[in-house]
Amino acid sequence: MKIKYFAWIKDITNKEEEEINSELINNLDELKLYLVKTYPNLRKHFDKEVLRFAVNKEYVSENIDLNSVDEIAVFPPVSGG
Amino acid sequence: MIKIQKEDFNSEEEINKIKKLYSNVGAVTSFIGYVRDNNNDNKVESINLEVYNDMAYKQFEKIIFKAKSNWKIIDSLIIHRYGKLKVNSKIVLVSCFSEHRKDSFESCNFIMDYLKKDAPFWKNEFYDKKNEWLINSN
Repeated sequence: MKIKYFAWIKDITNKEEEEINSELINNLDELKLYLVKTYPNLRKHFDKEVLRFAVNKEYVSENIDLNSVDEIAVFPPVSGG
Repeated sequence: MIKIQKEDFNSEEEINKIKKLYSNVGAVTSFIGYVRDNNNDNKVESINLEVYNDMAYKQFEKIIFKAKSNWKIIDSLIIHRYGKLKVNSKIVLVSCFSEHRKDSFESCNFIMDYLKKDAPFWKNEFYDKKNEWLINSN
């Protein structure tokens, strides 16, 4: 699955996107666990619940199943307009 | 019509391009957002606006569909810029075209409220000696 990072999240991950394929990641909660383990500096933002997630360009707030062709985006609150 | 672009645009020309397609349009409400020169007591020099382009396009389509199901809109226009924008630059134009003013006023407001809350854009504001990512609060 492809993971995309936006705004200041990129400063923490040091990349704009990456491909992750692991048998251990089958849903969004498992992906979140992977992300805090890989990028410990993300943890405090997870804890404050400031991060937002989109799967295939739709907002997702619940734990949904993921598969290898999904595109998941991780980003902070928006500031357009 | 939805446009997500780096380039500046001429608001009147963009509105007229759509208006001339419909003789039954009697009301057009537009909102234009600009880069301000100050924010939170900081003197702003420019902003860098980042976008998740594919998602923004998809989300704009959804919000226009919702607006059309709530108000009698004949057509609509969203132009949102991204990239480096200096003070006084246009950021966004939203125009709603309808027969009567109530539908165009209310649908334009509805689309802007959505856009501020959910459209995947992020402003990095540049001051004299620092820069800061913003969060929409209004």
